[in-house]
Amino acid sequence: MDIFYLTSAILLILTAYIFRFISILPFYRTHPNDRILTAHKGTNGPLHIFVFLGSGGHTGEMLRILQNYKETLLNQDNVLYVGYSDIDSRNKFSKLLQSACKVEYIEFKKAREVNSGLLASLKSIFLTLMTSLLNVIRIRKSIAFKPHLILLNGPGTCCILVLWFKLLEWILLFSSSSNIIYIESLARINSLSLTGKIVYWMADEFIVQWKELELSCAPRAKYFGILT
Amino acid sequence: MVKKTLFVTCGATVPFPQLINCILSPEFTNRLIRMEFKRLIIQFGKGYEEGFTKQLKSLGRLFPKESPVQASDYGTPKITGYTLLNDGNFEIFGFPFSSNIQECIERDATLVISHAGTGSILDSLRLKKPLIICVNDTLMDNHQEQIAIKFESMGYVWSCKPKIEELLGCLSKYQTETPKLFPNAHNEEFSNFLKNRAYN
Repeated sequence: MDIFYLTSAILLILTAYIFRFISILPFYRTHPNDRILTAHKGTNGPLHIFVFLGSGGHTGEMLRILQNYKETLLNQDNVLYVGYSDIDSRNKFSKLLQSACKVEYIEFKKAREVNSGLLASLKSIFLTLMTSLLNVIRIRKSIAFKPHLILLNGPGTCCILVLWFKLLEWILLFSSSSNIIYIESLARINSLSLTGKIVYWMADEFIVQWKELELSCAPRAKYFGILT
Repeated sequence: MVKKTLFVTCGATVPFPQLINCILSPEFTNRLIRMEFKRLIIQFGKGYEEGFTKQLKSLGRLFPKESPVQASDYGTPKITGYTLLNDGNFEIFGFPFSSNIQECIERDATLVISHAGTGSILDSLRLKKPLIICVNDTLMDNHQEQIAIKFESMGYVWSCKPKIEELLGCLSKYQTETPKLFPNAHNEEFSNFLKNRAYN
């Protein structure tokens, strides 16, 4: 009898996790008419936003998007979590920000190419993975069950971030969606970036800035024109 | 009075000597003077002061002067090679990079010539300045050429390679054609989309 209950319980949990896995994949979520403002069904209150500034051109494009949609994204009631790995990006963000919204800066370490051998490199990569996991857990805890968005646009580090966010979403059965929005670079006209190709399978929403990209290699992607 | 100004921007990181060579050629500067331009400002990229100064000197007929222009107005540490040309009613100066390039373009530029980086292209287009894009064909990155061709095919810009005759051709187009106006950045649908995602 005990065995019976135990097996049933295990099977039940397994089934739950399989269903959960399928349900958090972006392909099984449909949002019709999301270009028209719909009535808010979920929780209200200030918007919590995590943005990752990926340095160089990635930071440039992300800052343009924040600036162009500042009424929504940099609203003074918002709470912003700004991920960065170079101080230049952080400074550019703080220069751009003129509203009174709350900001928390979170440093992400870059995986360094260490010349001193394979073991040292592996150690460095492992450490980068673990610190980014800790950061993601912290961000996830702060934004869960509040209105939130995660905005990413590359480079490679974003793959790791998306993976951690989606893993947490899977493990925590009843948690809210990550609301990851990945925006492919404007420089991409004919093909997706490597980061884009990977993130395409995981991010909740995938945005491209050229119509032909949506038609040719990313049917699930959404196109709203040039956003940067 | 605003001086009729050509503003050249090469991007902050990679210098673009071929473009500056064309711009600082007698053919090109003479054409600018004939078109009644009064000023040429060149943002030439980090670490390229020496190259820029050398190229400027080879132009000849210069009257170098103490710069009346403030470096701080251009968000840059130093104004390089301030000089007058010919009879002195055409000024040229350069600087390596700017912390507020958008402000500089908005305030000074009548026409912009830019490298094909998306950031630089958008800076000018968002500010509704007429723009010539010059593609650096020595870079391995072929996105730049695609981007330039794409924007030109949409009628927002004129694009060319760093060759004097092609740049002169773009100047002629600037005189005779009106580019299409670039749409505004704000897009209500995307803004709605963000809110729907966040609140539902």
